[in-house]
Amino acid sequence: MKILVAEDDQLMVKMLEFRLKKDGHDVVISHDGREAVGKLDEFKPDLVITDIMMPYLSGLEVVSAVKKKYPKGTPVIILSGMGQENVVLEAFQLGADDYMTKPFSPNELSVRVRRFDLTLAK
Amino acid sequence: MLTIKTHLYSSFIIYWDIQSIALLAIVILMVCLLSFMLLYLLVKAGHEKKHTYWRSKSDTLIHKAVFDDEEKIDDMFIEETLGSDNLKKNRYFRKILTEEIISAKKNISGAAADNLIDLYRLFELDKYAIRNLNHLKWYIRAKAIHELTTMQISELVDHLHLFINDPNEYVRMEAQSALVQFNGFEGLSFLDTIAYPISDWQQIKLLQLLSHLPPSSIDTTPWFESKNSSVAVFALKLARNYNRFEQHDAIAKCLDHSDAKVRLEAILCLNEIYTDETSDHLIGRFLKESLKHQLAMIRVMQTLGTERDILFLTDLLNHESDQLKLDAARALAHASNNGMAALEAYSEQSEQDITEIVMHIKREMSV
Amino acid sequence: MSWQTFLLHVFTYGILVYSMILLTFYLLIGAFSILETRSYLHKNSFTDYRMLASSTEAPTMSILAPAYNEGPTIIENVRSLLSLHYNNLDLIVINDGSKDDTLEQLIKAYDLYKADFYVTQLIKTKKVNGIYRSHNPVYRKLTVVDKENGGKADALNVGINIARSDYFVCIDVDCVLEQDAILKLAKPFLESSTHRVIAAGGVVRVANSCEIEGGRLVKVHLPKKFLPRIQTLEYIRAFLLSRMAWTRLNGLLLISGAFGAFDREIVINCGGYHTDTVGEDMELVVRMRRYMEEREEPYKVGFIPDPLCWTEAPSSYRILGRQRNRWTRGTIETLRSHKKMFFNPNYGILGMLSYPYWFFFEFLAPIIEFLGTIGIIIYFFTYAINWSAVVIMIGVICIGILYSIFAILMEVLTYNQYKQRKDILKLVLVAILEPFIFHPFVVWSAVLGNISLLRKQNSWGEMTRQGFAANKNPR
Repeated sequence: MKILVAEDDQLMVKMLEFRLKKDGHDVVISHDGREAVGKLDEFKPDLVITDIMMPYLSGLEVVSAVKKKYPKGTPVIILSGMGQENVVLEAFQLGADDYMTKPFSPNELSVRVRRFDLTLAK
Repeated sequence: MLTIKTHLYSSFIIYWDIQSIALLAIVILMVCLLSFMLLYLLVKAGHEKKHTYWRSKSDTLIHKAVFDDEEKIDDMFIEETLGSDNLKKNRYFRKILTEEIISAKKNISGAAADNLIDLYRLFELDKYAIRNLNHLKWYIRAKAIHELTTMQISELVDHLHLFINDPNEYVRMEAQSALVQFNGFEGLSFLDTIAYPISDWQQIKLLQLLSHLPPSSIDTTPWFESKNSSVAVFALKLARNYNRFEQHDAIAKCLDHSDAKVRLEAILCLNEIYTDETSDHLIGRFLKESLKHQLAMIRVMQTLGTERDILFLTDLLNHESDQLKLDAARALAHASNNGMAALEAYSEQSEQDITEIVMHIKREMSV
Repeated sequence: MSWQTFLLHVFTYGILVYSMILLTFYLLIGAFSILETRSYLHKNSFTDYRMLASSTEAPTMSILAPAYNEGPTIIENVRSLLSLHYNNLDLIVINDGSKDDTLEQLIKAYDLYKADFYVTQLIKTKKVNGIYRSHNPVYRKLTVVDKENGGKADALNVGINIARSDYFVCIDVDCVLEQDAILKLAKPFLESSTHRVIAAGGVVRVANSCEIEGGRLVKVHLPKKFLPRIQTLEYIRAFLLSRMAWTRLNGLLLISGAFGAFDREIVINCGGYHTDTVGEDMELVVRMRRYMEEREEPYKVGFIPDPLCWTEAPSSYRILGRQRNRWTRGTIETLRSHKKMFFNPNYGILGMLSYPYWFFFEFLAPIIEFLGTIGIIIYFFTYAINWSAVVIMIGVICIGILYSIFAILMEVLTYNQYKQRKDILKLVLVAILEPFIFHPFVVWSAVLGNISLLRKQNSWGEMTRQGFAANKNPR
């Protein structure tokens, strides 16, 4: 599966990349929201994983850009330090498909990603 | 003319002695500062190379520990990663590694996080931190508590009682957070005895820490009576966040508290915890309050207002404060299904023009 | 003793005493600044700002961004403001009767519609033509106000009327903010449980020659041109030393109009920004402090030394001169309207220390320096070289340079934005050149400011037309 990751923290980026590649996915990294949106056309990801608090464009804007471009496909998983109700609700309203809060477990992420893979395979 | 000149020169000589010394002192000081700065920069540049090296080593350690949670973190692992370098004893390396482990730990949970804790212990960073708990400088004490709390080192708990009444606010704050982190809601028992005020910042932090725990049906009412009004404020916030409906009457009683901050918090708390009688409590208190609190009350009425409050709210559309008028109109519109109709009816018959307010409310409700 | 000798003595001793007091202040400012900065950095070393970013309990903040003819950059700037890290944040852009397409651009880029909106007149302002909100839920935090031109103060007042938040942050829309700027600025308001924090100021840094992309600072560089470079030093000195020291004493009088946060309730109670002064930023802080002093409520004005706000400093003498002229007028107007506090013990530190300091060392300093220089020149031509006065002058200059070098040292030891050793040396060189090249110009501009105020040349109208760029008082 082709996964686009948008995350500004260096360590997080490296660890997400390592983990997802180990699970056999194709991974493209972007370090801010604008870069992520820019890479949508070129990379055509099957899944987007994004942080919320990022430079230039917030993760919520990334969600809305992805959903505008691919109204049916391309699920988005949000991975954010912000866990409060209103942000989570807003994310889902904008079309996010899953929401994980930091600190997060890499194993859990890996399982959640696989779930989207299965739904695509059907 | 000449006499003035000689006089000038003689006075010049007297000045010169004091002044030249002063001038010299300034110049010497200037040179000292400059050379100190240059020296500092040079030393720092010298360190830079080593620092990058240490940083890369510590990165490798953390990446390995975090990326592959099947990795066993032991001396073998360190030797494989660092080679023969004995960095364990290196003060600077320890500092860098600690910082990086802490920041990684804040982002990661699960097996990978356990690996981080193993790594932390393996480098005996916990020992250094525990030793620092008794440091004379407050920020080193506070930092040590913070570090041990983040790394979930339970040995810290035995030491915590020492810091609850530490003279430094930041040490106290870290100790309180640690108590909550380790003991959950029971850790809040420090509220029974704390004499110092708890800042808003600390309250936010404690609530944040508690929000990671399974909700509790803690009884916060005893703290409403606390002599420390910041404890009462915090207890009200707890009641609101954990929906302690059975505490409603005690909360309503806080509307008469002598401290304005407690009263305001009680008003906000009633926004989540209310019964049919809540609006009567608010209305009964309304005229005694400042505009700021009145505005808060009206905003609460928007949530809990009913048919019965329409009259009270309609009256407020005459209020001298534009802000309050707008909020009252909004509360009215939300009060019941007839609220909007009442607002429009008032708008038509009243002498004052509130069409703009009505339009504003309609727009908000249509979004 | 002839009158000339007498005059000479008065002149020399006067200047000597004045310089000694100034030197004492420099030393005290240096010492207090070290204390305050140290304690701030220690506190910060284990502060988790992310906790605040993601909390629903965080106070509500509104950013007020007045815009005048900002067409070319407004979209990018608003976008970067919208991506600031803070959950309970909304952004109010106030279009102050721009003559270009600022408003149209915003409407197009953010999918805005004209909303029915009841604007409360808590503070009296010029007419509001319309309030715009976005159809797109991603931009629900954005409100755009279109109003008649009335200057920065009036635009901010409209923003205060419309905001519903606990605190508001006023910024210049052309400033570049760090992502965590609001988080850091919110903290002082939450920290104190004994004093009410009525306002908090932030540092403004010079952005000339820095790499800026999409409204965000990518890389810091020392300005290449001389004028901005010297202002870099000036800003470091003002923010890292002077403001930090005054914060320690709780005597801070000025929060830069380019970046500061205020308690909205108190600002409203005080009547908002005054539109009849060119120094509205300083005037408001002084008025708020006075209000709290008169009500005898314990209060504080906070200050954050982190470099959070970057702005383009004027790079031509003409614009710089105009800016300094305006600052002088603003200072005098503020001091004049609050002269009641001058050495008035009822106002505590504010009356006994802050106000007199501003009076003697901000308002009078350029005048004394100017007259002193003229005096020495006159003596040189008429009687003789007044050596003692010359020596004192050299001393004063050296002390000034010393103070600058100390400021650079503080920067190196704390935030160290200019990573290359070469840059630090360039700053030191600038510090040595400043008293001879830049400083006389600043003094002259200040004197001109005094003159134009005396002539009652109130150039308010001119300023509205110019917009309000480059009004970022760093002192």
